[in-house]
Amino acid sequence: MRDVENATVEVARPDDFDEFWAAGLADCATYPLDPVLTEMPTLSTPLVVVYDVSYVSFGGLRVSGWYAVPRGGEAPYPGLVTIPGYISEPTIPKEWAELGYAALAVAPRGKLRSNAVFNPGYPGLLTNNIVDHNTYGYRGFYLDVVRAVDVLLERPEVDSSRIGLAGSSQGGGLGISTAALRPDVIKAVACGAPYLCGIMTAPTLTRSYPYEEINEYLRLHPKDVDRVRETVAYYDGLNFAPAVKAPTLIYLGLEDDVCPPETGFALHRVLTCPKTLRTYENCAHHAGLPGVMRVVEDFLADHLKPVI
Amino acid sequence: MDFLEYWNAVDDELAAIPARPVLDLVPQRTDSAATTYAVRITSAGPYRVFGSLSIPVGDGPFPALLQVPRYGSVNNMAHPNDRSRYVVLTLMHRGQRLADEFFRAAYPGLLTLGIDDPSTYIYRGIAADCLRAAEFLLGLREVDPARVAVVGNELAILTAARRPAISAVRVSDLVLYRAMEARLWSSHYPLEELNDHLRSGSSAEVIGRTLSYFDPIRHAPAVTARTLVGVEDPGWYVPLVDALPAGEAYQVTHLDGTDADFYDAWLAGQVGVPAMSKFVR
Repeated sequence: MRDVENATVEVARPDDFDEFWAAGLADCATYPLDPVLTEMPTLSTPLVVVYDVSYVSFGGLRVSGWYAVPRGGEAPYPGLVTIPGYISEPTIPKEWAELGYAALAVAPRGKLRSNAVFNPGYPGLLTNNIVDHNTYGYRGFYLDVVRAVDVLLERPEVDSSRIGLAGSSQGGGLGISTAALRPDVIKAVACGAPYLCGIMTAPTLTRSYPYEEINEYLRLHPKDVDRVRETVAYYDGLNFAPAVKAPTLIYLGLEDDVCPPETGFALHRVLTCPKTLRTYENCAHHAGLPGVMRVVEDFLADHLKPVI
Repeated sequence: MDFLEYWNAVDDELAAIPARPVLDLVPQRTDSAATTYAVRITSAGPYRVFGSLSIPVGDGPFPALLQVPRYGSVNNMAHPNDRSRYVVLTLMHRGQRLADEFFRAAYPGLLTLGIDDPSTYIYRGIAADCLRAAEFLLGLREVDPARVAVVGNELAILTAARRPAISAVRVSDLVLYRAMEARLWSSHYPLEELNDHLRSGSSAEVIGRTLSYFDPIRHAPAVTARTLVGVEDPGWYVPLVDALPAGEAYQVTHLDGTDADFYDAWLAGQVGVPAMSKFVR
């Protein structure tokens, strides 16, 4: 039987890890954020106003999202960035707005609404330029989520002292990287079944996608294994985790075949922020859904204080 | 046009269009257990759709599995466990990734595209894609035609209803079952797309009529295959299970590891292969 809680998951931290990401953030800062919001009356409801939103991110690429704001309650609202899973398109976050959040569902580059320039396809994103950390497909993708936080910071209806992140799988993994890259802004992270943690260990523990993409890549390019390991170390949540300051909720399925629970436990171990771990026996990648959503909602409400 | 006329017209359209399959080996997805191909076939329209086809290594014929598309832009490739036991065809319908050269599905948006008229509703073409995929799979010499299963959402029921050679069906996460009622329960997508569309000026009567052609309960009586329906609220699904001549319900536990293992074992039992868990214990 696997000892998922105590298994060793190690990732070497590149010497220039901080400089690498500082350079990425500096690149973003050279472009005006230039957010464009268009109200969408037919997508709005009596409870929620919906906007189509876009903004400029890493490399000058324009990225899309959906933004939903409560009609009720009193601004400023807490802000929440919701981050999509690997194969998911972001849905309009009306349910979060109904709970009192100004919620931005980001579609990072490569997602349908943001793939005019960069479109690695699915499967494909995980291994796009995976031999070169400077051009790895995920570089801009990670930074697109950071820039979504910046959009919320510019919104007058958002309380900039109450901004959180929520997502599961890829959304959980990028919650960690984003909280690490905006440590003084993010005040809460809800992180389910985190992907992109222990990236080189995970494919040895599962044959499920998307990690199976790495096994497939190495089947064709076995000599690239060291370069792949070197690249993904820059993107591994375990290397971001120590920089996270915000209270973080991690929830795991103990039989998760997609993101092996060993990697989630490893993430929890290296986080130094206030942290809560919920584990669910006999659960796989849903990691306790749907019941865990109440836990997520309560956690975010405790820290971000929505008023509706 | 009545229900049978509508669907007979889809079959007639497919019958008039050759599938013209092209298979390309996918080396990175080929190993000692299975060989994988990228498949392109012509469906109604005509429209070229994509599939990932894997064939186990060894002497066939093998049981076969058609994975109909989920609601979303991407379908995962078949798990290696499945590729080792079945001939697996994972279909990307028109508009999904890998089948989006001429039409890109929008999310949200796909669920209501052309919905004001049954003849223009996008799901007419999507259903045709599934039927064409089933025909292709059933025609492969590596496939045992007596052991062909289809898994997924309501498109699996629709496919089995129209292609009676299919012997087992497993469905869960239904979107189009009683959709006009279910849309009222929350603002969650994809059913919220129906509410969005109504806000844009359509009428419930109009879209309800279109959706009635696709509700699995109307196709269920024609399904001869053994059918497992994963249900969250048994009462909600009673009419569907009762309408299936060989239907049975599985009460979803929301322990999705447990549920996945049950689903896998049920299907394996139907077609005579060993059960396999995706979670290696």
